Amino acid sequence: MDVLGDLAGGFGTALSLENLLFAAVGVTLGTLVGVLPGIGPAVTVALLLPLTFNFEPTGAFIMFAGIYYGGMYGGSTTSILLNTPGESASVVTTIEGFQMAKRGRGGAALATAAIGSFVAGTISTLAITFLAPVIAGVARSFQPADYVGLMVVAFVSITALLGRSLLRGMISLFLGLFVGLIGIDNLTGQQRFTFGVPQLANGLDVVVVAVGLFAVGEALYVASRLRHDREEIVPVRGSLLMSRDELRRSWKPWLRGAALGFPIGALPAGGAEVPTFLSYGLEKRLNPKAPWGEGAIEGVAGPESANNAAFSGVLVPLLTLGIPTSATAAILLVAFRIYNLQPGPLLFTNSPELVWALIASLYIGNAMLLLLNLPLIRLWVKILSIPRAVLYSGILVFATLGVYSLANSLVDVLIMYIVGVVGFFMRRYDFPVGPMILGVILGPLLEAQFRRALQISQGDLTIFLTRPISAILLLTAVAALLLPYLPRLLGRGQRLVFGTGSED
Amino acid sequence: MTRQDREPRTRHPALLGPRIVAGVLLALGALLIVSALGIARGGGYSVIGPATIPLVVAIGLLVLSVLFAVRTSISPDADLATLAADEEALTHWPTVGLIGLTLVAYALALDGFAIGPLDVPSLGYIVATALFLPVTARVLGSKAPIRDVIAGLAIAVGVYIGFTEFLGVRLPAGILGPVL
Repeated sequence: MDVLGDLAGGFGTALSLENLLFAAVGVTLGTLVGVLPGIGPAVTVALLLPLTFNFEPTGAFIMFAGIYYGGMYGGSTTSILLNTPGESASVVTTIEGFQMAKRGRGGAALATAAIGSFVAGTISTLAITFLAPVIAGVARSFQPADYVGLMVVAFVSITALLGRSLLRGMISLFLGLFVGLIGIDNLTGQQRFTFGVPQLANGLDVVVVAVGLFAVGEALYVASRLRHDREEIVPVRGSLLMSRDELRRSWKPWLRGAALGFPIGALPAGGAEVPTFLSYGLEKRLNPKAPWGEGAIEGVAGPESANNAAFSGVLVPLLTLGIPTSATAAILLVAFRIYNLQPGPLLFTNSPELVWALIASLYIGNAMLLLLNLPLIRLWVKILSIPRAVLYSGILVFATLGVYSLANSLVDVLIMYIVGVVGFFMRRYDFPVGPMILGVILGPLLEAQFRRALQISQGDLTIFLTRPISAILLLTAVAALLLPYLPRLLGRGQRLVFGTGSED
Repeated sequence: MTRQDREPRTRHPALLGPRIVAGVLLALGALLIVSALGIARGGGYSVIGPATIPLVVAIGLLVLSVLFAVRTSISPDADLATLAADEEALTHWPTVGLIGLTLVAYALALDGFAIGPLDVPSLGYIVATALFLPVTARVLGSKAPIRDVIAGLAIAVGVYIGFTEFLGVRLPAGILGPVL
């Protein structure tokens, strides 16, 4: 009952005209950037951070949540109509979705993705509503050593389970850890990795790194091959509505997708990619008669609802533990810190209004997306026809604007471009960028908790193994590290890969 | 290990790019170790000093770089070689270089700069952006210069007014300062 009361209070805040407006702006902007290839929710939130300094936090977070959801939805549009996933969690959708579009069922594919996202998003928001306070309660007993365990699990799972090469994932993570360490050490005031450059003393702003890595890196990468890539947009023909048969075939995959997506997203091993692959595999096994490879609607309905559910799931560790498990969540964590809010078990007791308004806005955002997207599909498709040359020039203009407006600093902008060049080479040689951004943001937190844990134990390293929670978490990390190699250890087979790890 | 893995390294000319990356990573790893060793130990404040984690990260990066270097030379990663070859075939380097140049020029025009006696004032947000967008679009292969100029002007003016008037974010007015 308590939860329902809090939630009602949240709705009270979120339903104010101003906040509804923020939600509407958020989902529209999110869908827009989701549709546009090359920029995703992480960059969008990063770019908007400097603009929202003057906002009241609740409104800003309602908008960010809308961007988060909208981005996920918009990603499916490009997957289905362009055969190019707008976000990595939409990769699976291209397989059947593009085939459906080619056969004149693009409208139905977009509709099943939209409704599936709504169904799954709502189910997982319900799960957040009731689960998050419980986890926050449990997490109150967590000690620094346990947080170290949690962060190690997050690091290991995002590097080991995603991407084609563990080695390249680890290099990406360590580059991120290095960037995160640049600046003055909080505890001792020592300069670290500043190489005598005064501008580095305050560290690199995460916005600078994220925008460089994602937006500039992607723009340079696309620019390098623009002369060769030719894209084919499949026009949406026929009805946007699903036939009765398509609806009948969709609803079970929606529910199964939600059931797979939420828990996996909520684990500190999360991310939205893994469940989409699992959902695709599951649907294929359960519906052997569907026309797989020729536009099976189950292959769109399942993964699309799974990625939306996982996206909500990711909010659980973020809000209750302060641990982001995806690049976008990592940027959201930065946003919380800008407003002097520390996500974690105390967030529910310290800023209940904000948390519950945010959760209420998830319900509202989901409903808005459904209302906004189905009628506007043709408009989103128009956006896809913006010439690539203008689109990427525009992305560079906005990336520069976002970073420049942080502090009107030329140095920031130039550092962002350098990071962009790094991002370009990472894309080129298939280094996943997700681990790097996670390293930048979580690295300093990990160090702080590690030092705190050792202070409590008076320098005794075994504390990480004698505290049951941290011991279990560290074992989980080892398991996650070994899991991809399981087929090989058991004899024959390839390394398991759960996604591309390039979520932006 | 697939069969291709054991083929002589001469079969992988495409690995040149990854080898350069490996070289850069090795150099960075070494630099970080030197830098981490130079961090003064903050005695007594905490059990773990300010240098410990940087040193761990530096050593980790160096070890990973060595492994990566091995995978691009002694024991080539066939998967990576194929990928690098595909990329090389698709890459149009002049575009990348030109975009890099226009970006730097844009940043300098936006903020103004001073090199020795040469002191170039900021062109201002509107002028810099209205120039940057059509030029970049042209580099990216656009063949509709008039459209690009209009798009550039529209974005530049729209962003400037929106940001300075409504969002309270300061952007340089530059040479248009007296007019705006």
